[in-house]
Amino acid sequence: MEQVIALPYKWWAEAVTVWLIVAVVIYLIVAIPGIYFIYKYRYKPGEREIGDHDFEGHMGLEALLTIIPLLTVIFLATYSFTIFKKQRTVPDGAMTIKVTAFMWGWQFDYLDENGKVIKTVVTGYHANDYNLQEFEKPVIPAGKPIRALLTSMDVIHSFFVLPARITEDMVPGRTTYLWFQINKPGEYWVFCREYCGTGHSHMFTKLKVVPPEQFTAWLYGKNEVAIKSNNKEVAR
Amino acid sequence: MLYFTTSFLVFLIAGVFGLLVRLEQSVPGMQVVDFKTYNYLLTGHGVGMLFWWAIAAHIGGFGNFLLPLMIGAKDVAFPRLNALSWWAFFAANVLFLMTLIPGNHIMTMWTGYPPFSLNNDAGVTALYVFVMHLLGASSIATAVNFLVTYITMRAPGYTFFKTNLFVHTLIAANVIQLVGVPSLAGAVTMLFLDKYLGTNFFNPAKGGDPLIYQNIFWFYSHPVVYVQVLPVFGFYSEIIPVFARRPLFGYTSMVFAVWAITAVSFFLWIHHMFVSGVPNWTRVLFSYTTLLIAVPTGIKIFNWMLTLYRGAIHFRSQMLYALGGVFMFLIGGLTGLPLGMVAIDLGVSDSLFVVGHFHYVLGMAITLGILGAVIHWFPLATGKYYPENLGKLSFWLIFAGANIFYFLQMVAGMLGNPRRYPDYPPIPEWTTLHVIQTIGALILGVGVVIFTYGIIKGLKSGEKASDNPWKSPSLEWKVGVPARAHGHGDHPPRVEPDWHPYRYDKEEILK
Repeated sequence: MEQVIALPYKWWAEAVTVWLIVAVVIYLIVAIPGIYFIYKYRYKPGEREIGDHDFEGHMGLEALLTIIPLLTVIFLATYSFTIFKKQRTVPDGAMTIKVTAFMWGWQFDYLDENGKVIKTVVTGYHANDYNLQEFEKPVIPAGKPIRALLTSMDVIHSFFVLPARITEDMVPGRTTYLWFQINKPGEYWVFCREYCGTGHSHMFTKLKVVPPEQFTAWLYGKNEVAIKSNNKEVAR
Repeated sequence: MLYFTTSFLVFLIAGVFGLLVRLEQSVPGMQVVDFKTYNYLLTGHGVGMLFWWAIAAHIGGFGNFLLPLMIGAKDVAFPRLNALSWWAFFAANVLFLMTLIPGNHIMTMWTGYPPFSLNNDAGVTALYVFVMHLLGASSIATAVNFLVTYITMRAPGYTFFKTNLFVHTLIAANVIQLVGVPSLAGAVTMLFLDKYLGTNFFNPAKGGDPLIYQNIFWFYSHPVVYVQVLPVFGFYSEIIPVFARRPLFGYTSMVFAVWAITAVSFFLWIHHMFVSGVPNWTRVLFSYTTLLIAVPTGIKIFNWMLTLYRGAIHFRSQMLYALGGVFMFLIGGLTGLPLGMVAIDLGVSDSLFVVGHFHYVLGMAITLGILGAVIHWFPLATGKYYPENLGKLSFWLIFAGANIFYFLQMVAGMLGNPRRYPDYPPIPEWTTLHVIQTIGALILGVGVVIFTYGIIKGLKSGEKASDNPWKSPSLEWKVGVPARAHGHGDHPPRVEPDWHPYRYDKEEILK
């Protein structure tokens, strides 16, 4: 998978670049003449004491300054639509993980094709630090699209995968979704991005991205016991 | 006056809250306050700044003062309704200060999203609901009063297309209030019923849905940003032509832009819910409508810039405030585009980028506008001048501090830093950005303190102002300095057919 570390980050970054170019161009178009006018037409005793009263408006110019922004925003919205479609369309063959949020942690259920739970990982609440035990880290295969089905047990939380720059709220009573793919093995931050109380800024986990073979070994491996015992402690 | 003083005091209190919030975030870990206090301070900062400062300072404060003077009337239509409105506002103030008492802390954030606000971890939601109701009642009374005043009490000859832009924007803002406030009142009432009386509007276990709240809440709370910013556009439009010594460019298109913003403002609330789980098609549709608002706001910026063209620009401190505000608004507007582009919003929603963006608009474009207006109409209200050197000094400190602070806040957001985080993992780039932001915030704070000192100094020992010190043709300056208690009295000023609030005497020179 080429150089791209994560999807849909790649497309998101492209969209940010397009916006940034448009924004800087507009800024310069407005600010440079603005600053020039401020300099050129400042009050000078004896020379420039009163402004020009004839230039109160100009229909053509005003129409132009309406139509150009209108076309610009239609372009930006349509461009964003094309990217949005890629961000929200789950690729075929994606692996499904069900993520359930609670104050203030996550439960990850790994599902097989029939929707049966194969394995569960629970990240607990760490009020004082940002370190996690190994068994609290959800593991995913590198280079494979992941579909996350999201819901919440108590209040609204949000699932934000930092390297993929994708967020979706986790609403009690609803199941929402997002998808992402990380190509480079490593550990990556996941944060809660919807305010959920005292523990909000410590509601996090680390995604452990490993090569696919290693992932299969982990998924069907037998460290179930540690997770189960942990589950009881922190989920309550 | 009462309104403005109350607003300004809450502005200062909420500013201190904001500074504490900022200090806490300077470096990772918890140093200044604990999590719960932080959440309270952040809620208080948001509620105070939005409802007391960004809505009440110019609408309640300047609106009551300037509206009758600008349209050539004696007073507002219903002076006693006006008093009632102020007392409701004052009562809300008392409740707001009561939240300072430990145990009364509200920790819902200003949005009060359920089901979190129904949770015990959220603090006293009832207090929040009552504050909103009192403010809402106050706003509706003001809105009715202003609309009636404008419609029935204009001086003869003062027509729609001869109306000052501040009056246009003020009336437009109050139209939004009249349509929107009931929606907010409904949302918080349902919240109250859910929490204390056992209804289940937002409880999914009993067939409710928390997203209902978000829809009703944002149906008002997005338009409200235009309530907050429109009168400030009015301030810019009043101040810039006076100190450029030439008529406002494109007056008619400015008027249409104001009313276009008012109309469009009700069709873009879903952009606050781009990641809330609403259907994909809604997100795309509202992406288009959201970006559409850039067109009328763009017209306004272009016209202010073109007003400078071939002018004779005086750099009085209120002109600095107005121009600085326009530049802040330009950045605020351009950084609003990615939030309207749903594709980018999915990656920056609820991040510090959003916070930085709205502080450019709601924080700075508005604050600079209001502070500029304070200096501009200071002679009319008090008969004295605001000290010019303190005005300039405070402007440069506020402008520089705010740009350092909010620009880097947006950068941190692009790097993924979530908002409403008292603590964050020690990621080196984040920490660096936060430290510099705090320095910016401190500079900003010093600027505000100097501005406040300037008000006190101006009141006590300001230079005595002359009649119509800025040589403006606008009607409010026709009553003499300081303005009399009954405005234009029973004899409205004559409005000649060729009179226009921005048509300066061609020969008249501002010294």
